Amino acid sequence: MFLLPILLAFRSTEADAALIVRLQRREPQALAELYDRYGRIAYSLILRVVRDAGIAEDLVQETFLRVWNRVQAFDAQKGAIGPWLLAVARNRAIDYIRSTGGRERNTVEFEETDHPSLYTDMESGILASDKARVVKAALEKLSPNQRQVIELAYFEGLSQTEMAARMGQPLGTVKTWVRAALKVLRDELGAQAVSA
Amino acid sequence: MNCSELRDHYELYALGLAEEPERDEIHAHLGRGCEVCMSETKRAREMVALLGGSAAPAAPSPKLRRRILASVGVEHRGFGWTPLFAGSTALLLAAAVYFGGREADFSRQVERLTDQSRAQIIELTRLNEAFALMNGADTTVTSFGEKKPVPKGKLFYNPAKGALLIASNLPPAPAGKAYELWLIPKAKGANPVPAGMFQSQSDGTVMRLMPGPIDANTTAAIAVTMEVEAGVAAPTPPILIVAPLAPALQ
Repeated sequence: MFLLPILLAFRSTEADAALIVRLQRREPQALAELYDRYGRIAYSLILRVVRDAGIAEDLVQETFLRVWNRVQAFDAQKGAIGPWLLAVARNRAIDYIRSTGGRERNTVEFEETDHPSLYTDMESGILASDKARVVKAALEKLSPNQRQVIELAYFEGLSQTEMAARMGQPLGTVKTWVRAALKVLRDELGAQAVSA
Repeated sequence: MNCSELRDHYELYALGLAEEPERDEIHAHLGRGCEVCMSETKRAREMVALLGGSAAPAAPSPKLRRRILASVGVEHRGFGWTPLFAGSTALLLAAAVYFGGREADFSRQVERLTDQSRAQIIELTRLNEAFALMNGADTTVTSFGEKKPVPKGKLFYNPAKGALLIASNLPPAPAGKAYELWLIPKAKGANPVPAGMFQSQSDGTVMRLMPGPIDANTTAAIAVTMEVEAGVAAPTPPILIVAPLAPALQ
């Protein structure tokens, strides 16, 4: 029974590789399958960031078009399209709230993390549904402040200085919470990601 | 810096929190193909990717799939601006591919233009839908909140096309909260029906389209409350907006 997640992850990787090849051949039906596979998780993530269903749908559309247009740079045998797509989705959403909030856009960082070659040799099954439980459990091990800084960083794209201003706390305190939170997550999720 | 000095910074880097000089150092290590940094950054990115799964599950409207496929020419929409812009986008993309191998900077420039074109298509599509509803022969308008300081606006209602809510003085909901739309049934004792979440702009304005038929015989009004961002099954007082549906003139 405990082998099921591993088998599912393996199947996901195999299926993703074939899907990437078809996307690179510009098969429109492959885009439909990509959407069916990752549309909901991308939408859920973007909605969590922008908190507006209409804008979230627009940004999901942008995300899939961006992936469609950049997929040629992907190594089908090594790439993990799910984590890459999710990174693009997060960047689109954070870019949006930065622009509407009058915050400076972190262009270099976003262009860099958007690049598909950074997602080679990554496990596609990392986004399998069984992982959600593990993530939830890991986040529950964080203190409220630790959890808040991780959420502000991941879902709002705030820097540590911006978090300190938002939370009304000294920068050093925020940095301590961030490091402590990342250590907990590294211990809890790191092993999961590597052993997926 | 050597890799061991960067050991505690890979997760910060993956999360976008790394500061100088560590950020530049990791970037430089990755640029020259440092195996330790490549491996550690990959591990950190995997961990960060897992956080994406912690967002509350939500489902987009079925129309979104069609919109995405239509934008790459899979399914044709009705008459409108989209085919024209899709053609422009395709030309820009073809140009990007052609010049990409020869001139990387130019290719990036074309890509930015393509992104802008795509954003314009999306915005035009939204505005087209909104104007189509506002100009519909059966569309009626009701005002709300006129005698109160906040919020106020208008509701455009078309039985076949849906409703368009335009409001002001609706400040952005705080972190963890969002506004939820409700269809208020006419029948006594019937429960309000959730009709989607939204967030207002930083200036307190909102233009929210609710596409699809709405029956004024069974629905009395559109209401808005502030809820947790995942949405709730029943509205939480206070009700911020109540906009009655005005039946179409016969």
